[in-house]
Amino acid sequence: MLFAGRSSDVCLSLPDPVDRATLRRLVTAAQERLTAAGLRSGGAVALRLPPSLAYVVNLLATWRAGGQAILLDHRLTDHEVDRALERLTPQVVVAPVRTGGGALRVFVDVTEGVTPYADRPAVSGHAVIQLSSGSTGPSKVIGRTAADLVAEVHRYTRIDGVALPGERIVLLPSMVHVLGLVGGLLYGLHAGVELVPPQRLSGDAVLAAIAAADSPATVLGVPFHIGLVTATRPDGPLPQFRRMTTGGELVPAAVARAFTDRFGVPLGNMYGMTEVGVIGTDLHGRHRPSITPAPGIEVREVGGELHVSCPASPYVGLTDPTRWSAGWLHTRDAGTVDPDTGLVTVRGRLDSQVSVGGMKVDLTEVETTVAELTGVAAAVVVWDNGITAYVQPDGPLSEEALDTLLAERLAGYKRPRTLHLLDQLPRTTTGKLVRSVDALRTAATP
Amino acid sequence: MAGQPDLGRADLVTMLAELHARPAAEVPDRIGSMELAWLVHLVEQRYDRQLDLTDDQLAGIRTVDDALVVFRTSLTAPADG
Repeated sequence: MLFAGRSSDVCLSLPDPVDRATLRRLVTAAQERLTAAGLRSGGAVALRLPPSLAYVVNLLATWRAGGQAILLDHRLTDHEVDRALERLTPQVVVAPVRTGGGALRVFVDVTEGVTPYADRPAVSGHAVIQLSSGSTGPSKVIGRTAADLVAEVHRYTRIDGVALPGERIVLLPSMVHVLGLVGGLLYGLHAGVELVPPQRLSGDAVLAAIAAADSPATVLGVPFHIGLVTATRPDGPLPQFRRMTTGGELVPAAVARAFTDRFGVPLGNMYGMTEVGVIGTDLHGRHRPSITPAPGIEVREVGGELHVSCPASPYVGLTDPTRWSAGWLHTRDAGTVDPDTGLVTVRGRLDSQVSVGGMKVDLTEVETTVAELTGVAAAVVVWDNGITAYVQPDGPLSEEALDTLLAERLAGYKRPRTLHLLDQLPRTTTGKLVRSVDALRTAATP
Repeated sequence: MAGQPDLGRADLVTMLAELHARPAAEVPDRIGSMELAWLVHLVEQRYDRQLDLTDDQLAGIRTVDDALVVFRTSLTAPADG
Protein backbone atom coordinates (compact mmCIF):
# COMPACT_ATOMS: atom_id res chain seq x y z
CA MET A 1 0.00 0.00 0.00
CA LEU A 2 2.69 2.52 1.00
CA PHE A 3 5.95 0.85 0.07
CA ALA A 4 5.03 -0.43 -3.39
CA GLY A 5 6.67 1.29 -6.33
CA ARG A 6 10.08 1.74 -7.89
CA SER A 7 13.00 1.96 -5.46
CA SER A 8 14.26 5.06 -7.23
CA ASP A 9 10.98 7.00 -6.91
CA VAL A 10 11.45 10.10 -4.79
CA CYS A 11 8.95 10.16 -1.89
CA LEU A 12 10.14 13.26 -0.06
CA SER A 13 12.24 16.29 -0.97
CA LEU A 14 13.74 17.76 2.20
CA PRO A 15 15.14 19.25 -0.07
CA ASP A 16 17.56 16.35 -0.50
CA PRO A 17 15.57 13.60 -2.17
CA VAL A 18 14.53 10.58 -0.12
CA ASP A 19 13.69 7.71 -2.47
CA ARG A 20 11.66 4.62 -1.71
CA ALA A 21 14.75 2.42 -1.22
CA THR A 22 16.16 4.86 1.35
CA LEU A 23 12.82 5.08 3.11
CA ARG A 24 12.53 1.27 3.30
CA ARG A 25 16.04 1.04 4.73
CA LEU A 26 15.37 3.73 7.36
CA VAL A 27 12.07 2.11 8.34
CA THR A 28 13.73 -1.29 8.78
CA ALA A 29 16.37 0.23 11.07
CA ALA A 30 13.75 2.13 13.07
CA GLN A 31 11.66 -1.02 13.44
CA GLU A 32 14.65 -2.78 14.98
CA ARG A 33 15.13 0.10 17.46
CA LEU A 34 11.45 0.09 18.45
CA THR A 35 11.43 -3.68 18.92
CA ALA A 36 14.62 -3.53 20.96
CA ALA A 37 12.96 -0.92 23.21
CA GLY A 38 10.03 -3.23 23.91
CA LEU A 39 7.49 -2.83 21.09
CA ARG A 40 5.54 -6.02 20.38
CA SER A 41 2.82 -6.63 17.80
CA GLY A 42 -0.39 -5.29 19.35
CA GLY A 43 1.49 -2.74 21.45
CA ALA A 44 1.60 1.01 20.93
CA VAL A 45 4.25 3.62 20.21
CA ALA A 46 3.75 7.24 21.21
CA LEU A 47 5.30 9.58 18.65
CA ARG A 48 6.01 12.97 20.19
CA LEU A 49 7.83 14.34 17.19
CA PRO A 50 7.55 17.46 15.09
CA PRO A 51 7.04 16.95 11.35
CA SER A 52 10.33 15.36 10.32
CA LEU A 53 11.82 12.42 8.49
CA ALA A 54 12.16 10.78 11.93
CA TYR A 55 8.38 11.08 12.37
CA VAL A 56 7.63 9.51 8.98
CA VAL A 57 10.10 6.69 9.51
CA ASN A 58 8.99 5.82 13.05
CA LEU A 59 5.31 5.96 12.09
CA LEU A 60 5.82 3.51 9.23
CA ALA A 61 8.10 1.32 11.39
CA THR A 62 5.42 1.16 14.10
CA TRP A 63 2.83 -0.10 11.63
CA ARG A 64 5.24 -2.54 10.05
CA ALA A 65 5.89 -4.02 13.50
CA GLY A 66 2.14 -4.51 13.98
CA GLY A 67 1.91 -1.65 16.45
CA GLN A 68 -0.46 1.24 17.08
CA ALA A 69 0.84 4.77 16.58
CA ILE A 70 -0.23 7.38 19.13
CA LEU A 71 0.33 10.76 17.49
CA LEU A 72 1.12 13.53 19.98
CA ASP A 73 1.48 17.05 18.62
CA HIS A 74 4.98 18.22 19.54
CA ARG A 75 3.54 21.51 20.81
CA LEU A 76 1.67 19.78 23.64
CA THR A 77 3.09 20.50 27.08
CA ASP A 78 4.63 17.84 29.35
CA HIS A 79 1.46 18.05 31.42
CA GLU A 80 -0.76 17.25 28.42
CA VAL A 81 1.56 14.49 27.19
CA ASP A 82 1.81 12.84 30.62
CA ARG A 83 -1.98 12.67 30.87
CA ALA A 84 -2.18 11.10 27.41
CA LEU A 85 0.54 8.52 28.12
CA GLU A 86 -1.14 7.46 31.38
CA ARG A 87 -4.36 6.79 29.49
CA LEU A 88 -2.87 5.17 26.41
CA THR A 89 0.01 3.12 27.93
CA PRO A 90 2.36 2.87 24.94
CA GLN A 91 5.17 0.34 25.14
CA VAL A 92 7.59 2.86 23.66
CA VAL A 93 7.83 6.65 23.44
CA VAL A 94 9.75 8.31 20.62
CA ALA A 95 10.74 11.93 21.24
CA PRO A 96 13.46 14.26 19.97
CA VAL A 97 16.84 14.24 21.66
CA ARG A 98 17.97 17.05 19.42
CA THR A 99 16.19 19.23 16.88
CA GLY A 100 17.69 21.65 14.45
CA GLY A 101 17.34 23.31 11.12
CA GLY A 102 16.50 26.88 12.14
CA ALA A 103 13.47 28.94 12.96
CA LEU A 104 10.05 28.65 11.29
CA ARG A 105 10.90 25.29 9.79
CA VAL A 106 7.98 23.29 8.41
CA PHE A 107 10.04 20.11 8.47
CA VAL A 108 12.59 19.76 11.26
CA ASP A 109 15.90 17.89 11.53
CA VAL A 110 15.37 15.51 14.42
CA THR A 111 17.56 13.02 16.19
CA GLU A 112 15.09 10.84 18.04
CA GLY A 113 15.35 8.95 21.30
CA VAL A 114 13.41 5.72 21.85
CA THR A 115 12.34 5.05 25.46
CA PRO A 116 10.46 2.06 26.94
CA TYR A 117 7.29 3.19 28.74
CA ALA A 118 4.81 0.45 29.73
CA ASP A 119 4.59 -3.26 29.17
CA ARG A 120 0.96 -3.42 28.13
CA PRO A 121 -0.94 -4.00 24.88
CA ALA A 122 -2.50 -1.05 23.06
CA VAL A 123 -5.80 0.19 24.51
CA SER A 124 -7.58 -0.58 21.22
CA GLY A 125 -7.06 -2.26 17.87
CA HIS A 126 -6.75 1.04 15.99
CA ALA A 127 -3.71 1.73 13.80
CA VAL A 128 -3.63 5.38 14.79
CA ILE A 129 -4.68 7.24 17.90
CA GLN A 130 -5.06 11.00 17.75
CA LEU A 131 -6.07 13.48 20.41
CA SER A 132 -8.61 16.19 19.83
CA SER A 133 -9.30 19.08 22.16
CA GLY A 134 -12.13 17.86 24.37
CA SER A 135 -15.37 19.46 25.47
CA THR A 136 -15.19 17.86 28.91
CA GLY A 137 -11.71 19.10 29.76
CA PRO A 138 -9.36 16.22 28.88
CA SER A 139 -8.61 15.49 25.24
CA LYS A 140 -10.88 13.24 23.23
CA VAL A 141 -9.14 10.05 22.13
CA ILE A 142 -9.88 9.22 18.50
CA GLY A 143 -8.89 5.96 16.82
CA ARG A 144 -8.67 5.07 13.14
CA THR A 145 -8.34 1.48 12.01
CA ALA A 146 -5.94 0.40 9.28
CA ALA A 147 -8.93 -0.44 7.05
CA ASP A 148 -10.39 3.02 7.66
CA LEU A 149 -7.11 4.74 6.73
CA VAL A 150 -6.79 2.59 3.60
CA ALA A 151 -10.35 3.49 2.65
CA GLU A 152 -9.57 7.18 3.07
CA VAL A 153 -6.45 6.96 0.91
CA HIS A 154 -8.57 5.25 -1.78
CA ARG A 155 -11.15 8.00 -1.40
CA TYR A 156 -8.47 10.54 -2.27
CA THR A 157 -7.52 8.62 -5.42
CA ARG A 158 -11.11 9.02 -6.64
CA ILE A 159 -11.40 12.78 -6.02
CA ASP A 160 -11.06 14.98 -9.09
CA GLY A 161 -8.40 17.63 -8.52
CA VAL A 162 -5.94 15.89 -6.21
CA ALA A 163 -2.24 15.75 -7.15
CA LEU A 164 -1.61 12.90 -9.59
CA PRO A 165 1.19 10.31 -9.71
CA GLY A 166 4.43 12.01 -10.75
CA GLU A 167 3.26 15.37 -9.44
CA ARG A 168 4.22 17.14 -6.20
CA ILE A 169 2.44 18.27 -3.05
CA VAL A 170 3.95 21.27 -1.31
CA LEU A 171 2.98 20.20 2.18
CA LEU A 172 2.28 22.81 4.87
CA PRO A 173 -0.04 21.17 7.43
CA SER A 174 1.47 19.01 10.15
CA MET A 175 1.56 15.30 9.29
CA VAL A 176 0.49 14.60 12.86
CA HIS A 177 -3.01 15.77 11.98
CA VAL A 178 -5.43 14.21 9.56
CA LEU A 179 -5.08 16.51 6.54
CA GLY A 180 -1.29 16.33 6.42
CA LEU A 181 -1.19 12.69 7.53
CA VAL A 182 -3.65 11.12 5.09
CA GLY A 183 -4.13 13.82 2.44
CA GLY A 184 -0.38 14.45 2.32
CA LEU A 185 1.84 11.66 3.60
CA LEU A 186 -0.20 8.47 3.10
CA TYR A 187 -1.83 9.52 -0.16
CA GLY A 188 1.53 10.75 -1.47
CA LEU A 189 3.32 7.51 -0.63
CA HIS A 190 0.51 5.41 -2.09
CA ALA A 191 -0.02 7.39 -5.28
CA GLY A 192 3.61 8.19 -6.07
CA VAL A 193 3.24 11.90 -5.40
CA GLU A 194 6.40 13.61 -4.16
CA LEU A 195 6.00 15.46 -0.86
CA VAL A 196 7.82 18.76 -0.70
CA PRO A 197 7.75 20.67 2.57
CA PRO A 198 8.91 24.26 1.98
CA GLN A 199 12.20 25.20 3.61
CA ARG A 200 10.44 27.44 6.09
CA LEU A 201 7.01 28.82 6.85
CA SER A 202 6.97 31.85 4.56
CA GLY A 203 5.31 32.79 1.31
CA ASP A 204 8.67 33.03 -0.46
CA ALA A 205 9.60 29.51 0.62
CA VAL A 206 6.29 28.11 -0.64
CA LEU A 207 6.76 29.73 -4.04
CA ALA A 208 10.39 28.55 -4.12
CA ALA A 209 9.23 24.99 -3.42
CA ILE A 210 6.76 25.20 -6.31
CA ALA A 211 9.48 26.53 -8.62
CA ALA A 212 12.08 23.95 -7.54
CA ALA A 213 11.04 21.36 -10.15
CA ASP A 214 9.18 21.21 -13.43
CA SER A 215 6.42 18.80 -12.36
CA PRO A 216 2.98 20.16 -11.42
CA ALA A 217 2.64 21.21 -7.79
CA THR A 218 -0.36 21.41 -5.49
CA VAL A 219 0.00 23.42 -2.28
CA LEU A 220 -1.79 21.81 0.65
CA GLY A 221 -2.44 24.00 3.68
CA VAL A 222 -4.91 25.68 5.99
CA PRO A 223 -6.53 29.08 5.37
CA PHE A 224 -3.75 30.97 7.18
CA HIS A 225 -1.33 29.76 4.50
CA ILE A 226 -3.45 31.34 1.74
CA GLY A 227 -2.72 34.75 3.26
CA LEU A 228 1.00 34.02 3.44
CA VAL A 229 1.17 32.95 -0.18
CA THR A 230 -1.07 35.76 -1.45
CA ALA A 231 1.06 38.34 0.37
CA THR A 232 4.04 37.23 -1.73
CA ARG A 233 4.80 38.52 -5.20
CA PRO A 234 6.29 35.78 -7.38
CA ASP A 235 9.57 36.64 -9.13
CA GLY A 236 8.29 35.23 -12.38
CA PRO A 237 5.67 32.95 -13.88
CA LEU A 238 4.93 29.71 -12.02
CA PRO A 239 3.56 27.37 -14.69
CA GLN A 240 3.98 24.39 -12.31
CA PHE A 241 1.51 25.85 -9.80
CA ARG A 242 -1.67 23.83 -10.32
CA ARG A 243 -3.77 24.49 -7.31
CA MET A 244 -3.86 25.35 -3.63
CA THR A 245 -6.15 23.32 -1.39
CA THR A 246 -6.95 24.11 2.20
CA GLY A 247 -8.91 22.44 4.97
CA GLY A 248 -9.51 23.17 8.60
CA GLU A 249 -11.90 26.09 8.47
CA LEU A 250 -13.92 28.25 6.12
CA VAL A 251 -12.08 30.68 3.88
CA PRO A 252 -13.47 34.23 3.68
CA ALA A 253 -14.59 35.07 0.14
CA ALA A 254 -12.24 38.08 -0.06
CA VAL A 255 -9.22 35.91 0.79
CA ALA A 256 -10.18 33.39 -1.89
CA ARG A 257 -10.61 36.16 -4.46
CA ALA A 258 -7.26 37.76 -3.62
CA PHE A 259 -5.55 34.40 -4.10
CA THR A 260 -7.12 33.59 -7.47
CA ASP A 261 -6.54 37.16 -8.69
CA ARG A 262 -2.84 36.83 -7.91
CA PHE A 263 -2.12 33.32 -9.15
CA GLY A 264 -4.92 32.46 -11.56
CA VAL A 265 -5.14 28.86 -10.33
CA PRO A 266 -8.00 27.19 -8.44
CA LEU A 267 -8.25 27.48 -4.68
CA GLY A 268 -9.71 24.19 -3.51
CA ASN A 269 -11.60 23.63 -0.31
CA MET A 270 -11.80 20.51 1.84
CA TYR A 271 -13.96 19.54 4.77
CA GLY A 272 -12.84 16.77 7.07
CA MET A 273 -12.56 15.67 10.67
CA THR A 274 -9.99 13.77 12.67
CA GLU A 275 -12.65 11.10 13.28
CA VAL A 276 -13.25 10.18 9.60
CA GLY A 277 -10.73 12.08 7.51
CA VAL A 278 -11.84 13.79 4.33
CA ILE A 279 -15.62 14.21 4.16
CA GLY A 280 -16.04 16.41 1.11
CA THR A 281 -14.19 18.65 -1.30
CA ASP A 282 -14.53 21.47 -3.78
CA LEU A 283 -11.07 21.30 -5.32
CA HIS A 284 -11.96 23.48 -8.30
CA GLY A 285 -13.35 26.22 -6.06
CA ARG A 286 -16.61 26.23 -8.03
CA HIS A 287 -19.08 25.81 -5.19
CA ARG A 288 -17.45 27.81 -2.39
CA PRO A 289 -18.32 27.56 0.44
CA SER A 290 -20.15 24.29 -0.36
CA ILE A 291 -18.48 20.93 -0.90
CA THR A 292 -19.37 17.65 -2.60
CA PRO A 293 -19.24 14.56 -0.37
CA ALA A 294 -16.17 12.42 -1.08
CA PRO A 295 -16.75 9.06 -2.82
CA GLY A 296 -18.25 6.57 -0.37
CA ILE A 297 -19.16 9.23 2.19
CA GLU A 298 -22.75 10.13 2.99
CA VAL A 299 -23.71 13.37 4.66
CA ARG A 300 -27.16 14.19 6.03
CA GLU A 301 -28.64 17.01 8.02
CA VAL A 302 -30.44 16.18 11.24
CA GLY A 303 -32.02 19.09 13.07
CA GLY A 304 -29.54 21.55 11.58
CA GLU A 305 -26.48 19.40 12.42
CA LEU A 306 -24.43 17.56 9.82
CA HIS A 307 -24.09 13.80 10.32
CA VAL A 308 -21.48 11.81 8.39
CA SER A 309 -21.53 8.08 7.66
CA CYS A 310 -18.99 6.32 9.89
CA PRO A 311 -19.53 2.57 10.37
CA ALA A 312 -17.88 2.25 13.81
CA SER A 313 -17.46 4.69 16.65
CA PRO A 314 -14.05 6.37 16.33
CA TYR A 315 -13.88 7.16 20.04
CA VAL A 316 -11.77 5.14 22.42
CA GLY A 317 -13.37 4.51 25.77
CA LEU A 318 -17.00 5.24 26.50
CA THR A 319 -18.98 6.15 23.41
CA ASP A 320 -21.12 9.23 23.71
CA PRO A 321 -24.35 8.68 21.72
CA THR A 322 -24.57 12.42 21.08
CA ARG A 323 -21.29 12.17 19.12
CA TRP A 324 -21.73 8.87 17.31
CA SER A 325 -24.70 6.54 16.98
CA ALA A 326 -25.84 3.80 14.62
CA GLY A 327 -23.22 4.35 11.94
CA TRP A 328 -23.36 8.15 11.92
CA LEU A 329 -20.90 10.65 13.30
CA HIS A 330 -22.58 13.75 14.71
CA THR A 331 -20.19 16.45 13.55
CA ARG A 332 -21.47 19.29 15.78
CA ASP A 333 -21.14 21.39 12.66
CA ALA A 334 -24.23 23.33 11.68
CA GLY A 335 -25.00 22.88 8.01
CA THR A 336 -27.33 21.97 5.20
CA VAL A 337 -27.41 19.39 2.42
CA ASP A 338 -28.99 20.50 -0.85
CA PRO A 339 -31.56 17.82 -1.76
CA ASP A 340 -31.08 18.36 -5.52
CA THR A 341 -27.31 18.69 -5.89
CA GLY A 342 -26.13 16.92 -2.73
CA LEU A 343 -23.85 19.89 -2.02
CA VAL A 344 -23.04 20.32 1.66
CA THR A 345 -22.69 23.75 3.22
CA VAL A 346 -21.02 24.03 6.60
CA ARG A 347 -22.22 27.02 8.59
CA GLY A 348 -20.15 26.91 11.77
CA ARG A 349 -19.86 25.06 15.05
CA LEU A 350 -22.74 24.14 17.32
CA ASP A 351 -20.45 23.75 20.32
CA SER A 352 -17.53 25.57 21.91
CA GLN A 353 -14.91 24.36 19.42
CA VAL A 354 -12.92 26.97 17.51
CA SER A 355 -10.19 26.76 14.92
CA VAL A 356 -6.82 28.42 15.50
CA GLY A 357 -4.75 28.29 12.33
CA GLY A 358 -6.51 25.06 11.36
CA MET A 359 -6.02 23.49 14.80
CA LYS A 360 -9.22 22.63 16.63
CA VAL A 361 -9.45 23.97 20.14
CA ASP A 362 -12.37 23.39 22.48
CA LEU A 363 -12.88 26.47 24.62
CA THR A 364 -14.20 24.22 27.39
CA GLU A 365 -10.79 22.56 27.68
CA VAL A 366 -9.14 25.98 27.96
CA GLU A 367 -11.70 27.21 30.48
CA THR A 368 -11.42 24.08 32.63
CA THR A 369 -7.64 24.40 32.65
CA VAL A 370 -7.72 28.09 33.63
CA ALA A 371 -10.37 27.53 36.29
CA GLU A 372 -8.38 24.70 37.90
CA LEU A 373 -5.24 26.82 38.36
CA THR A 374 -4.16 27.70 41.86
CA GLY A 375 -5.14 31.30 42.57
CA VAL A 376 -8.14 31.29 40.23
CA ALA A 377 -11.63 31.48 41.73
CA ALA A 378 -13.57 31.39 38.46
CA ALA A 379 -12.96 31.78 34.75
CA VAL A 380 -14.89 32.22 31.52
CA VAL A 381 -13.20 31.63 28.16
CA VAL A 382 -14.85 32.90 25.01
CA TRP A 383 -13.98 33.51 21.38
CA ASP A 384 -13.74 37.23 20.73
CA ASN A 385 -11.67 37.43 17.55
CA GLY A 386 -9.29 35.10 19.39
CA ILE A 387 -9.30 33.01 22.56
CA THR A 388 -10.11 35.43 25.39
CA ALA A 389 -10.10 34.56 29.08
CA TYR A 390 -11.85 36.49 31.85
CA VAL A 391 -10.42 35.44 35.19
CA GLN A 392 -11.51 36.13 38.75
CA PRO A 393 -8.53 35.52 41.07
CA ASP A 394 -9.01 34.39 44.65
CA GLY A 395 -5.99 36.36 45.88
CA PRO A 396 -3.06 38.23 44.42
CA LEU A 397 -2.49 37.02 40.86
CA SER A 398 -0.68 38.82 38.06
CA GLU A 399 -1.25 38.31 34.34
CA GLU A 400 2.35 37.24 34.06
CA ALA A 401 1.97 34.54 36.72
CA LEU A 402 -1.20 33.32 35.02
CA ASP A 403 0.61 33.22 31.68
CA THR A 404 3.42 31.15 33.14
CA LEU A 405 1.04 28.67 34.76
CA LEU A 406 -0.89 28.27 31.52
CA ALA A 407 2.29 27.77 29.52
CA GLU A 408 2.98 24.69 31.65
CA ARG A 409 -0.44 23.21 30.99
CA LEU A 410 -1.67 24.19 27.54
CA ALA A 411 -0.02 24.04 24.13
CA GLY A 412 0.61 27.51 22.70
CA TYR A 413 -2.19 27.41 20.13
CA LYS A 414 -4.73 26.70 22.90
CA ARG A 415 -3.65 29.54 25.18
CA PRO A 416 -5.71 32.74 25.48
CA ARG A 417 -4.41 35.65 23.42
CA THR A 418 -6.16 38.12 25.72
CA LEU A 419 -6.42 37.83 29.50
CA HIS A 420 -8.65 40.01 31.66
CA LEU A 421 -8.33 39.84 35.43
CA LEU A 422 -11.55 41.00 37.12
CA ASP A 423 -12.36 41.34 40.81
CA GLN A 424 -15.75 39.87 40.06
CA LEU A 425 -16.91 38.06 36.93
CA PRO A 426 -20.39 39.05 35.77
CA ARG A 427 -23.05 36.58 36.91
CA THR A 428 -26.76 36.12 36.33
CA THR A 429 -29.23 36.72 39.15
CA THR A 430 -29.07 32.99 39.88
CA GLY A 431 -25.27 33.15 40.18
CA LYS A 432 -24.32 31.55 36.86
CA LEU A 433 -21.33 32.94 35.01
CA VAL A 434 -22.29 35.20 32.12
CA ARG A 435 -20.86 34.13 28.75
CA SER A 436 -22.05 36.94 26.52
CA VAL A 437 -19.04 38.53 24.83
CA ASP A 438 -20.62 41.99 25.03
CA ALA A 439 -21.33 41.69 28.77
CA LEU A 440 -17.81 40.41 29.44
CA ARG A 441 -16.26 43.23 27.40
CA THR A 442 -18.31 45.76 29.36
CA ALA A 443 -17.28 44.21 32.67
CA ALA A 444 -13.61 44.46 31.66
CA THR A 445 -13.87 48.12 30.62
CA PRO A 446 -12.52 50.34 33.41
CA MET B 1 17.45 49.56 7.10
CA ALA B 2 17.55 49.68 3.33
CA GLY B 3 15.71 52.97 2.86
CA GLN B 4 12.75 51.88 4.96
CA PRO B 5 11.77 53.78 8.11
CA ASP B 6 12.56 52.05 11.40
CA LEU B 7 10.23 49.27 12.36
CA GLY B 8 7.82 50.42 15.07
CA ARG B 9 5.28 48.74 17.29
CA ALA B 10 2.46 50.34 15.31
CA ASP B 11 3.75 48.64 12.15
CA LEU B 12 3.50 45.22 13.76
CA VAL B 13 0.05 45.97 15.14
CA THR B 14 -1.09 47.04 11.67
CA MET B 15 0.23 43.79 10.20
CA LEU B 16 -1.62 41.74 12.83
CA ALA B 17 -4.79 43.75 12.26
CA GLU B 18 -4.55 42.80 8.57
CA LEU B 19 -4.11 39.11 9.44
CA HIS B 20 -7.15 39.02 11.68
CA ALA B 21 -9.19 41.55 9.68
CA ARG B 22 -9.98 43.65 12.72
CA PRO B 23 -9.19 47.20 13.91
CA ALA B 24 -5.66 47.80 15.22
CA ALA B 25 -7.11 48.81 18.60
CA GLU B 26 -8.44 45.26 19.03
CA VAL B 27 -5.19 43.45 18.31
CA PRO B 28 -4.17 41.52 21.44
CA ASP B 29 -0.69 41.95 22.82
CA ARG B 30 0.01 38.20 23.02
CA ILE B 31 1.01 36.43 19.84
CA GLY B 32 1.29 32.78 18.89
CA SER B 33 3.32 30.92 16.31
CA MET B 34 0.91 31.72 13.49
CA GLU B 35 1.01 35.47 14.16
CA LEU B 36 4.76 35.27 14.47
CA ALA B 37 5.15 33.57 11.08
CA TRP B 38 2.93 36.26 9.59
CA LEU B 39 4.99 39.09 11.11
CA VAL B 40 8.31 37.57 10.02
CA HIS B 41 6.95 37.18 6.50
CA LEU B 42 5.73 40.78 6.23
CA VAL B 43 8.83 42.27 7.85
CA GLU B 44 11.01 40.30 5.44
CA GLN B 45 8.92 41.55 2.51
CA ARG B 46 9.15 45.13 3.72
CA TYR B 47 12.93 45.09 4.13
CA ASP B 48 13.52 42.69 1.25
CA ARG B 49 15.78 40.43 3.29
CA GLN B 50 15.52 37.27 5.30
CA LEU B 51 15.59 37.67 9.08
CA ASP B 52 18.22 35.37 10.48
CA LEU B 53 16.33 34.17 13.56
CA THR B 54 17.02 31.20 15.78
CA ASP B 55 14.49 28.81 17.30
CA ASP B 56 15.40 30.15 20.74
CA GLN B 57 14.77 33.72 19.68
CA LEU B 58 11.34 32.80 18.32
CA ALA B 59 10.48 30.65 21.33
CA GLY B 60 11.12 33.62 23.62
CA ILE B 61 8.58 35.83 21.83
CA ARG B 62 5.27 36.03 23.67
CA THR B 63 4.10 39.56 22.87
CA VAL B 64 4.19 42.19 20.15
CA ASP B 65 6.86 44.05 22.13
CA ASP B 66 9.03 40.92 22.38
CA ALA B 67 8.75 40.48 18.61
CA LEU B 68 9.72 44.11 18.00
CA VAL B 69 12.93 43.75 20.02
CA VAL B 70 13.94 40.55 18.18
CA PHE B 71 13.12 41.95 14.72
CA ARG B 72 15.00 45.20 15.38
CA THR B 73 18.05 43.27 16.56
CA SER B 74 17.97 41.11 13.46
CA LEU B 75 17.43 44.08 11.11
CA THR B 76 20.38 46.00 12.50
CA ALA B 77 22.68 42.99 12.01
CA PRO B 78 24.67 43.06 8.74
CA ALA B 79 22.45 41.81 5.91
CA ASP B 80 25.10 39.59 4.44
CA GLY B 81 25.75 37.94 7.76
